Amino acid sequence: MKNRSYTTVALFTVALLFLIGCAGATKSGDRGTPRELPSDPESSSSVSTSEGGNQLSDEELFLLEDDSDWNDGPAEEIYTVPDPIEPFNRVMFTINDKLYLWVMIPVAKGYAKVVEPQIRTGVKNFFFNLGAPIRIINNILQGKGKAAEAEVARFLYNSTVGVLGFGNPAKHHDGLNPDPEDLGQTLGVWGIGDGFFLYLPLLGPSTLRDTVGFVGDRYASPMGFVEPVELSLGLSGYNVLNTLSFRADDYKALKDAALDPYASFRNAYIQLRQSKLRR
Amino acid sequence: MILKRWSVAIAIWCLLVGTVGAGNASPTPMDFVKERIDQIITILNDPTYHTPSQKGSQRDKIWEVSQPMFDFKEISQRTVGPKWDLFSEAEKEQFTNVFSSFLGNTYIDKIQGEYHNEQIVYLKELVKEPLALVRTKLVRESVEIPIDYRLRRNDNQWKVYDILVENGVSLVQNYRVQFRSILEKEPPAELIRRLEQKLQEQNQALQ
Repeated sequence: MKNRSYTTVALFTVALLFLIGCAGATKSGDRGTPRELPSDPESSSSVSTSEGGNQLSDEELFLLEDDSDWNDGPAEEIYTVPDPIEPFNRVMFTINDKLYLWVMIPVAKGYAKVVEPQIRTGVKNFFFNLGAPIRIINNILQGKGKAAEAEVARFLYNSTVGVLGFGNPAKHHDGLNPDPEDLGQTLGVWGIGDGFFLYLPLLGPSTLRDTVGFVGDRYASPMGFVEPVELSLGLSGYNVLNTLSFRADDYKALKDAALDPYASFRNAYIQLRQSKLRR
Repeated sequence: MILKRWSVAIAIWCLLVGTVGAGNASPTPMDFVKERIDQIITILNDPTYHTPSQKGSQRDKIWEVSQPMFDFKEISQRTVGPKWDLFSEAEKEQFTNVFSSFLGNTYIDKIQGEYHNEQIVYLKELVKEPLALVRTKLVRESVEIPIDYRLRRNDNQWKVYDILVENGVSLVQNYRVQFRSILEKEPPAELIRRLEQKLQEQNQALQ
């Protein structure tokens, strides 16, 4: 067991070093750069809001800013993550797709029929609550003191008033809903680049950085300490199934909305991670 | 005689006030979006459409209400990107028609299938002429999904040209990436053909 954990740590460190190397790399071709948040005060003063005044968060300014130069050469470069192992990723995507459509989604739907939504929501809340230590650590690592405090407060509140985390009474209180942070985002905030795109079996789209982050988070999460490892994985699998039971139809709907589902999912994942980095 | 003149004068005056009044009452972007979405929700909740045979007419009704919300020409141009210039005028029009039908089919079908009395909360509206951002969220039983609409004012009429989901995942950008890889190797006609094929598959599935 000790040997295994040493190996994991070693792999983790190697991957981390690799990523640090990737951080400064500038690849030619359409890589683009992440859109910068507008820092020019003039742009915010010309905006009016429905709430009166024009106190906008940086994020809101970003979403409002039209890429009106979207048709010019350099601005046309959307931020993308290189995909050097695309053939492999596409195979993984197809395998995952079949797994979802033939196994996971039918099981999730069956499960949803049998188990009441309140119970499933309770389970979802319970697992989410268990993830609080990770989120707290990652907030601290990113220098987000206020969010870390909010996470602590939410954890305490939901564990007590919410009865061991099955309830989520915190959602009704404004300051107790910080955005979830994870190690992948932390690494991103530290300036470590995405690396390259990876389509993982079962877990779906990811990047090298986010995968390292996922492994790292799992290492420190309460789930990671559950023995034996089969039980730990089983519980995580159950968590995935339970969460899927709320969104069983979304997968196929998203797939049908795309002309090239692989490219669509890849881009959606990258956009989602970029938007999380901004918050 | 004098009465007739007066009544004519009053009539003209009312007409003028009426039109000026109407001109001043142009809806804000949020009002515009909310009004349309409220109509769509009414159609979704309408019990006359709750039988399977009525799904087609419900879809048509939703399309009728939602289509004026969007500027499909702008959306088509943005999703294709710089290669738009390679399209002939006929191809541009063909692409716009096919793509808008495709989007309509895809999303209306999804909304019909998945709408279970979710609530739409209108959060905020930001206006920086001629652009606007309307922030909403869809409240489902266990999760809230932020949905933002990007609008542009053309000829005094607001139209949606992009939808952002989960605080920044742009639909236009998502399609642009898909189309770009196709257009890198194939001519515009091929992209149009593939969309038409997808449209046919959809129509068959909807029969």
